[in-house]
Amino acid sequence: MLFSLSLPSPAGRNSKSMRTLTGMALMLSAASAAPVALHAQGAPKVRISFTQDSLPNGLHIIYSIDRSTPVVATMMMYNVASKSEQPGRTGFAHLFEHMMFKGSRNVADGAHNGLLEKAGARAGADINGTTSWDRTNYFEQVPSNQLELTLFLEADRMGTLLETLTQAKLDNQREVVKNERRQSVDNQPYGSWLEKALLGVYPKDHPYQHSVIGSMDDLSAASLDDVKNFFRTYYAPGNAVLVIAGDFDLDNTKQLVRKYFGNIPRGPKVPAQRSLVAPATIGREIREAVQDPLAAAPQVFVAYRVPAARSKDGAAVTLLTSMLAGSSASPLYKALVRDKQIAVAVQSFNLGLIDGADMMLFIATGKPGSDAAAIESALIAELDKASSFIDQKTLDRARVAQRFQFVNGLQTTGGFGGLADQLAEGYTYYKNPNHVNTILDDYDKVSLPQLRALVSSRLVPTNRVRLVYTPAPKPAAGGAK
Amino acid sequence: MKRRLLALFIVVSALIPGGGDVNAQPAAGTKPPAAGALRPYVLPAVQTFTLENGMRVLLVERHSLPIVTARFVVDAGAVREPADKNGLAYLTADLLSEGAAGLTSAQMAEKMADLGAQFGTSANNGSAFVTVTALPNVFTEALTIGATALTNPTLSPVEFDRMRTSAIAAYQQGQSTVNGIASKIFYKAIYDPGTAYSRLSGGTTASLTKLTRDDVVNWHKAMYSPKNTTLVLIGDLTVESARVAAEKAVGKWNTPGPSLTPFVGKGLASSENRVILVDRPGSVQSAILVGHSTAGYETPELLPMTAAGRVLGGGFSSRINMLLREKKGWTYGAFAQFNPLKGVGSFFINSSIRSNATDSALAESVREFRRLATEPVPSVELADQLTNVVASFPSSVQTIQGLMGRLNDVVVYGLPLDYYNTYRERLAAVKPEDISRAGAALLKPNGLTIVAVGDLKTIEAPVRALNLGTVEVWDNDGNKIR
Repeated sequence: MLFSLSLPSPAGRNSKSMRTLTGMALMLSAASAAPVALHAQGAPKVRISFTQDSLPNGLHIIYSIDRSTPVVATMMMYNVASKSEQPGRTGFAHLFEHMMFKGSRNVADGAHNGLLEKAGARAGADINGTTSWDRTNYFEQVPSNQLELTLFLEADRMGTLLETLTQAKLDNQREVVKNERRQSVDNQPYGSWLEKALLGVYPKDHPYQHSVIGSMDDLSAASLDDVKNFFRTYYAPGNAVLVIAGDFDLDNTKQLVRKYFGNIPRGPKVPAQRSLVAPATIGREIREAVQDPLAAAPQVFVAYRVPAARSKDGAAVTLLTSMLAGSSASPLYKALVRDKQIAVAVQSFNLGLIDGADMMLFIATGKPGSDAAAIESALIAELDKASSFIDQKTLDRARVAQRFQFVNGLQTTGGFGGLADQLAEGYTYYKNPNHVNTILDDYDKVSLPQLRALVSSRLVPTNRVRLVYTPAPKPAAGGAK
Repeated sequence: MKRRLLALFIVVSALIPGGGDVNAQPAAGTKPPAAGALRPYVLPAVQTFTLENGMRVLLVERHSLPIVTARFVVDAGAVREPADKNGLAYLTADLLSEGAAGLTSAQMAEKMADLGAQFGTSANNGSAFVTVTALPNVFTEALTIGATALTNPTLSPVEFDRMRTSAIAAYQQGQSTVNGIASKIFYKAIYDPGTAYSRLSGGTTASLTKLTRDDVVNWHKAMYSPKNTTLVLIGDLTVESARVAAEKAVGKWNTPGPSLTPFVGKGLASSENRVILVDRPGSVQSAILVGHSTAGYETPELLPMTAAGRVLGGGFSSRINMLLREKKGWTYGAFAQFNPLKGVGSFFINSSIRSNATDSALAESVREFRRLATEPVPSVELADQLTNVVASFPSSVQTIQGLMGRLNDVVVYGLPLDYYNTYRERLAAVKPEDISRAGAALLKPNGLTIVAVGDLKTIEAPVRALNLGTVEVWDNDGNKIR
């Protein structure tokens, strides 16, 4: 992610939803802006209308008009991601994303964000770039009279990024990204969990096996030639979808899109994605005990390899995750936080990765001084009887939660998980922007037998990674003599 | 290289059918396109009415999507709690949702889950609050259940113990990060110990351990009343449906309110710059904070100070981010802000810095702080920063939650109801001389508190060598150790 606003605040915490997962999963994935199902009587139906177009150079465009606020969002999503990276270059797709903000033929270094901020876009929320395992996106939401500026900027970097690339720019952003990694991983309690979970859940050298942020060594190794090659390979109109959503005039905007993007070369054929196929299960149980000098309390992570989002069980995986530990009404929360009171928080989520295999994760946070082994065995015991939690009431709750989140997410035109993002992901993943209008139906089609089969085949001991974090003694204090 | 690449593009584009008949991609030197005519955005007026029990209701209708949010804002935040009961306001509010009106904590959570409603209770310095967000078809029911947490909470001993443990765990988790430690130390250093802002509103292990269930029960009884509460409603409902829902949810609640005097917060002034270091052995980054206490929401310089914070560190293109991140590469992001609260506020720079650049980043931060306080802000730079805040306002209130944040401030800080209806015009009118005047009075480049939390083996000697001011080393609890 290019930019994150994080200000310390004396009231910036909430014991009910301890945000121990700062960073990584939520910031870098954004891939699972999970939408919803239907249950409650009289629940409102929301349908997104859109039209599609394409240019001769292969750029696909989706237009969706919503004039309720005089703002417009531009979302450029490239079909390139951390799964596209070469061995020895983990983190490169994301480092490259940062380079897209460092100027191009008609945009000086620093001017991209500067022009957009001056036009009325908020850094972070309205202007950003994000890289996940499955796609990279760039977006800007501005007052609707500034639409042309966003097209000018997106086209200039798509067409001419390499014209002004320098070693100094790369060196600067390499340092920025290393700081991003320090801030979100290396200097955070439990910061290594995601890398360890991915390492265990995916087969050796699988494209999803490494984190999006990548390793320090690989970031150090990235060269100017890597940036050039990556750009020439992946950053072209035929490998992207452009979504324009909000308050705009369709005919005029089509002309502007043609004006700015029409002459960008199609680019070479994008190389085939390295296979994402993975066996259904890990085949063994992996357990690692981690002594964490930054941790205040034990924390236990249990990760499973589960069907990918694009498989027939994709919707079931999302619902199952929500059913088991998605709220304070969930069975795992009840068992561990209310009844046994062995944990102060239980969380679950899945990454929503699209092909081969997804990862489902459960996290139990202990209190300071509590016994990690006891938390671990309690969490495992509940997961091992997960099938007993699969009933109609729990399923209905997961569906209405998704329905709420669907409407809630659509309040934002651009930005994270907003309307433009959902349309772009629908096209990138399913070649079908109408996916946004059928997601709720997909959840309604999930059945109890399907969920039970998922539990009995995937939530098994030979398909999981346990990470047990305990506070380690602090390193010796230091200071100037 | 550049020439060869250009040539390649031209050749390839010529091969694209239809590619040659549109305008060429803008040539080098092309200026960004000018903006078109702005379609004005009008924030709907805040409608207001009073329930039969005296509770004030604020309503903003928004019918673009079927969703509604409600927040009961109670003047029972941490600023109202006694200094020896740090965390009481927060723990009480936290406990409200854990059982009410005959429902257990689990039953309440299950009912809200059945409705697909979001429900939460909490408190900070300024207020305690109960929030319910739902689709309109279930909103009244969700609000009615949620309101029982406000009016008739069980506050059971079992749940009290659980939530207190949870609050202590949250405190310790917060203190396991450099930012959590740094903000606690900074606020302790810049605010008067008699002012709640000098403490974490959530309390500490020591303060929470001393709180009892009786404290919580008594606090709720004394402080929660309809006359002390404002209900803010935003979304897909009308005055009529809002009144019906609100009367159904809280109309029968009738408890005597506390008699409260206006809260007066106090800062600590420092006549010289001082450095406070806290050791976090092995830390690969340091959290830094550079600033001081200053005026609060009541100051006539509210908007000039807001603008000053914007210039120094309010966005990506701000001075401090462009310097520490984009020029130096020492951080993932650097910020500054004016943070006004009731009675008093603060102005500070903050960032997480690669450990071995901590000293340099502090020196640059102090220099940038001084430049802002002593040199006029160029009018173009100021105009760009203000235009950002003004023009992005519609985006910032596009969600009902975003607008709720603004109305929450209207209630907590006693702002005029039309404050945000006129905010953009007033902010846009701020001039460089306004910032100079406000800065001369309210920015203290010679009275800075400079906090760095990091690996002292790496950072202490270089920071001392800068001679930024007196250097003290504090422990994690805010006690000076050397």
